[in-house]
Amino acid sequence: MIPWLLEALQCLMTLILAPALIGFVRLLKARLQGRRGAPLVQPYRDLAKLLGKERVVSTQASWIFRAAPLVLFASTLVASLLIPLVAAPLPFDRVGDLIVVVYLLLLGTFFLALAGLDTGSPFGGMGASREMTIAALAEPTIALAIFGMGAGAGSTNLGEIVARTLANPGSTLSSGHLMAFAALFIVMLAECGRLPVDNPATHLELTMIHEAMILEYSGPYLALLEWAAQMKFFLFLALLCNLVCPWGVAVALRPGTLSVAVAALIIKLAVLAIGIALLETRLAKLRLFRVPELLGVSFLLALLAITTSFLVR
Amino acid sequence: MAPDLFSRLVTLASSLVLLSGIAVLWRHSLEAYIRAFARQSFLFVVTIVLVAAQTGDARLYLVAALVFLMKVVLIPNVLQRVQRHVGADLEIHPYVNTPASLVITGALTLLSYAVASPVTTLGSVPTRGGIPLALATVFVGLFILVSRKSALSQIIGFLVLENGIALLAVLATFGVPLIVELGVFLDVLLGVLVMQVFVYRIRETFDTLDVDRLKKLRH
Repeated sequence: MIPWLLEALQCLMTLILAPALIGFVRLLKARLQGRRGAPLVQPYRDLAKLLGKERVVSTQASWIFRAAPLVLFASTLVASLLIPLVAAPLPFDRVGDLIVVVYLLLLGTFFLALAGLDTGSPFGGMGASREMTIAALAEPTIALAIFGMGAGAGSTNLGEIVARTLANPGSTLSSGHLMAFAALFIVMLAECGRLPVDNPATHLELTMIHEAMILEYSGPYLALLEWAAQMKFFLFLALLCNLVCPWGVAVALRPGTLSVAVAALIIKLAVLAIGIALLETRLAKLRLFRVPELLGVSFLLALLAITTSFLVR
Repeated sequence: MAPDLFSRLVTLASSLVLLSGIAVLWRHSLEAYIRAFARQSFLFVVTIVLVAAQTGDARLYLVAALVFLMKVVLIPNVLQRVQRHVGADLEIHPYVNTPASLVITGALTLLSYAVASPVTTLGSVPTRGGIPLALATVFVGLFILVSRKSALSQIIGFLVLENGIALLAVLATFGVPLIVELGVFLDVLLGVLVMQVFVYRIRETFDTLDVDRLKKLRH
């Protein structure tokens, strides 16, 4: 019974904390740029406002347009069940490993791109084509980085990787582990539409990727899409920090260790969010044609991760 | 330091050396090239210090200090002065474009693993994890040399290659005798100084650093 409650807790944490994480990054960026910035609860207010509005759907739209927000939201929520946010051996570890998590997240991306194409608006098509280009370039990197992590731990099972790392803390300093982290970090920037790949704060038509695909959406659909994007960002960050620095994740299920785990997760996410805010304040957006170069670098990092952890023991 | 941790740290440091060599292929400005080289040399110094701490060899500390002076301080400064003086700051059209360069670098890394596999499987030195990476640094340096057009970038390629060879020496044999090391230092320093003069001459004669234009005798 307890493990299932744990899964419910993970799900709820993802739903509730994801908007706060985005709000925190935005607030930090605003402060770093010398603005006051919106308060931490602003993303919640936005979601509540959007959920209360009516939805306007183009007469040209097919069922894909209506299904995409639901698929995106649901697949992201399912991924949250598989990632060790607060406890390491989860009951759903038997269902899917890191590969399933990544492809669940990519399933949402795929449907979003379809929805962008569906209404036939030029912006949607542009955004979808860009998103797919980036996803196609990011995918081999993700696969290699996963195998880099997996080769270090002897399994692609997330709970297993975390447990092995906790049992053998020296392995966090191994080259394979850190290179895979760096590769996944770059992929995260690309997949979550952060700078320098996509600017999350603009609707400027020449540069937008994510915003271009969701341009046709309104009301509750838009709320679902925004929420799913926030959850995806949250999950990617949680995955990154728990893979590279799993300390604090509860191995034994006691109330004490669980509350420590929640606190540790929030602290780790905050640290990573500060890093991202600093990075985004320093970096300008890359030209679209230089994005493949960035993803090439992350591919190389992932390749190094797998060679250094696998070819020479 | 535990031997396990030591070999992990050495592998990590060597892969960072390789990565800062690869950074040259990703960047476009010559200033960034010079900074990448300085960073690589610094990481190389870190590797030497790691090995010195593990083996307790005092001469290796001396070598580390000399490398620091030469390759982190002196040579980058000389190169920066040259770069500012000739006013060239971009490597615009390399023979191989950036994404292709990165893919080729990946292939070169795999190649160096294949080439070094007898050493790493039979050898028992704790630093063997870094040997293929040092070899890959040599290959990357060579690749920079042949794929970049600006005379300055080619100097950087040569220096990256030299760093790779020195790293290989440190990892495979825990450092060569000091006298040999001194000879190599002098060689590299003189090489850079001579090449610097060449850069000035090329610039004066051809009004560009693009070695592609050097095909014509008269301009």
